[in-house]
Amino acid sequence: MSPLVPGLLISVMLAASAAAAPVSFETIARQAEAARAQDRVPDAIRLYREGTHLRPSWNDGWWYLGSLLYDQDRFSEAADAFQHLLANPSHRGPAHAFLALCEYETDKYNDALAQFRAWAGAGWAGTRELRDVADYHFALLLTRNGKFVESLYLIAPLAQRFGDNPEIVEAMGLASLRMSYLPENYPPELRERIWLAGKAALYAAQSPKDFERADEYAARLESRYGTQPEIHYFRGMLYGFEGKNAEAEREYREELKISPDHVPCLVALAGFDLEKNDLAEAGALAQRAVAVDSNDAEAHHLLGRVLLANGDLRASASELETAKQLAPDSPLVRSHLAMVYTKLGRPQEAKVEAAAFLALKNKEEVMASPEEKLGEINRESAH
Amino acid sequence: MIRKVLLVACLVAGVCSGSPVAGQEPSAVSRQSFDQLLQAAEKARDESRDGEAIQLFRRALSEQPESEQALWYLGSMLYEKEQYAESRDVLRRFVTIRSDAGPAWALLGLSEFQLREYSRALDHLQRAMAQGMGDRKELIQSVFYDVVVLLTRFERYDDSIVMLERMLANGVADPALAEPNGLAALRLPFLPTEIPPDRRELVHLAGRTELDVQTQHYEDAESEFKQLVTKYPNEPGVHYLYGAYLMQLHPSESVAEFERELEISPSHVLARVRLAEQLIAQRDFDRALTLAQQAIKLDPKRASTHMIAGEALLAKGNAGDGIKELETAREIDPTVVRAHWDLLRAYIAAGRKEDADREKQAIEKLSDRNSQSRPSEAGDSPHDQSAP
Repeated sequence: MSPLVPGLLISVMLAASAAAAPVSFETIARQAEAARAQDRVPDAIRLYREGTHLRPSWNDGWWYLGSLLYDQDRFSEAADAFQHLLANPSHRGPAHAFLALCEYETDKYNDALAQFRAWAGAGWAGTRELRDVADYHFALLLTRNGKFVESLYLIAPLAQRFGDNPEIVEAMGLASLRMSYLPENYPPELRERIWLAGKAALYAAQSPKDFERADEYAARLESRYGTQPEIHYFRGMLYGFEGKNAEAEREYREELKISPDHVPCLVALAGFDLEKNDLAEAGALAQRAVAVDSNDAEAHHLLGRVLLANGDLRASASELETAKQLAPDSPLVRSHLAMVYTKLGRPQEAKVEAAAFLALKNKEEVMASPEEKLGEINRESAH
Repeated sequence: MIRKVLLVACLVAGVCSGSPVAGQEPSAVSRQSFDQLLQAAEKARDESRDGEAIQLFRRALSEQPESEQALWYLGSMLYEKEQYAESRDVLRRFVTIRSDAGPAWALLGLSEFQLREYSRALDHLQRAMAQGMGDRKELIQSVFYDVVVLLTRFERYDDSIVMLERMLANGVADPALAEPNGLAALRLPFLPTEIPPDRRELVHLAGRTELDVQTQHYEDAESEFKQLVTKYPNEPGVHYLYGAYLMQLHPSESVAEFERELEISPSHVLARVRLAEQLIAQRDFDRALTLAQQAIKLDPKRASTHMIAGEALLAKGNAGDGIKELETAREIDPTVVRAHWDLLRAYIAAGRKEDADREKQAIEKLSDRNSQSRPSEAGDSPHDQSAP
């Protein structure tokens, strides 16, 4: 059994409920627990069903019923049981994760993603094993939703712990090539490129980094699919990760020949130009990125930085404020905004943004809502 | 073609126990209603009124959700109708009650395969194999085929090749095995349906060549290998395959092939292992050891990397470190006979009689086991059958 496929995840996490109960319920509860302890799964399922029917507030019963059904891969029935635990604060955390996994398996992907977010919000509760399985599926759903960077943030630690695991390779391949698919539903003809990209990404994510092997797979990917979209962008990202900026820039330019409106590429190249003080090209590329996707926070951020470098402070502030609206948890946007406000002589606003930057800078890889990441700052601002 | 076969007809008998209902005793009224529904469903099924039969089995299950007969018939009929999601869900309920039913695990795994739930499919198909599927030849072949292609997709190429060899040994010489064989041999983790169109010919040729080697048609294999390296001189895996073949017949010629493979695929672990093996035979121990150490760095969990390092160290006269590497190889995979032979000789040379005796016993045990199904000596297929 793969470590990333929902399997035997039962863990005893609940205290027995102490309320007085009718005799018939107590008998059934005792029988259910005996059946579970003796691994008589069908009997245990039937008895927990009866027990929870008699006493719907029996949290242990719902927990074990859900867990037993989950272990039998009976996800739709398990989901019904876990739903009953969401109302209880002490069980809510892991129940969100289990429910999300059940919803994933029954193709309710949007609901599953919402449950995973709720699970993250509740503190990622659960055993190490549950966290691994849940992180993996959470990452798959983020990829499906086009949140490729967040997906890779979640998966990279799994890649380090599990090493060269085919399922992690596949997940990393999909996110790296920015393909909004799940492993179960991508077109079969994409398999080779997803595998090659996944291998490259996985080796680049190891600790210590194995760039040599990453490059070997990336080179194979490029030689096989160099005329297809996303390949050069991925290669550029990988070079960037390796600190090979000239090679990265070359790859991004290659990608733009194939995908002229590739926003992350335009933004990345604008960033290189800005570093080289080529403000004219940086501005043109950033403008183009904003024109292609006015909801891309990084495009506005880059444009704001270029305008700042050009001394156009008001326009810069406006772009950075838009970026802040789109990505409230980006520390760098806050930092640049603080700079612009200072230069504009707006010290109070600069102070707030600087504080937000400090609060956020260590939480870049934290999968929580911006409100949570900025908790104290928001509370202080409110006062 | 063995991928898709008509299964249900050969499955019905022998899966359900005599007792029609498990679990809670139904009331007399519900019992009567259930019995009537089940009888009507079976009649409809016998008369090929499948849609009606499915509906009736569903109704019977609403009366008695744990009826083995109703679950099994419904699950297998849904599978036959290619309603895989439904058959999967029904069969999961069935195997909760009858976890000993090999054919049910088989149908469940085959349904999951169709739904692209590959990890679960592999688990359940292997469970079916472990529990047995009786004499249902077509079902067994389908299960074996899917396990072979899934093992390859999960990059368990050596296990896949061992399974293919078992299939060939059992007389399955279906041409459909060429692609699975080619994929495993070239170490490409794709299902046959996922082979890129411009790679299909390469995979097919490699697979046919491997089949010829496995069935000892060496003349055909020789000419196909030449075709392979001529047509695909820069494809990863091709020179390794040819080198592994040459090692059996013209060992000295294999060196150039392994070296070429390493130029194309610098992280190819097995090309390093085989090249090191050949260099030991040519008494170039220093280079062999360097290659073995590189192989260990690339894949420390592979027994053959440590085994070959141990052999190189022993050949260089470093018995202490050599034995350590061989012991690591044995620990990683105790079924590799050659590592036990190496250790036996090393322990004897070091005067460690008790350890040597233990290795001798291990070899005898493995030899008995392998006389039935013979895994590769170094644990690394293909063509790795050389006796130590």
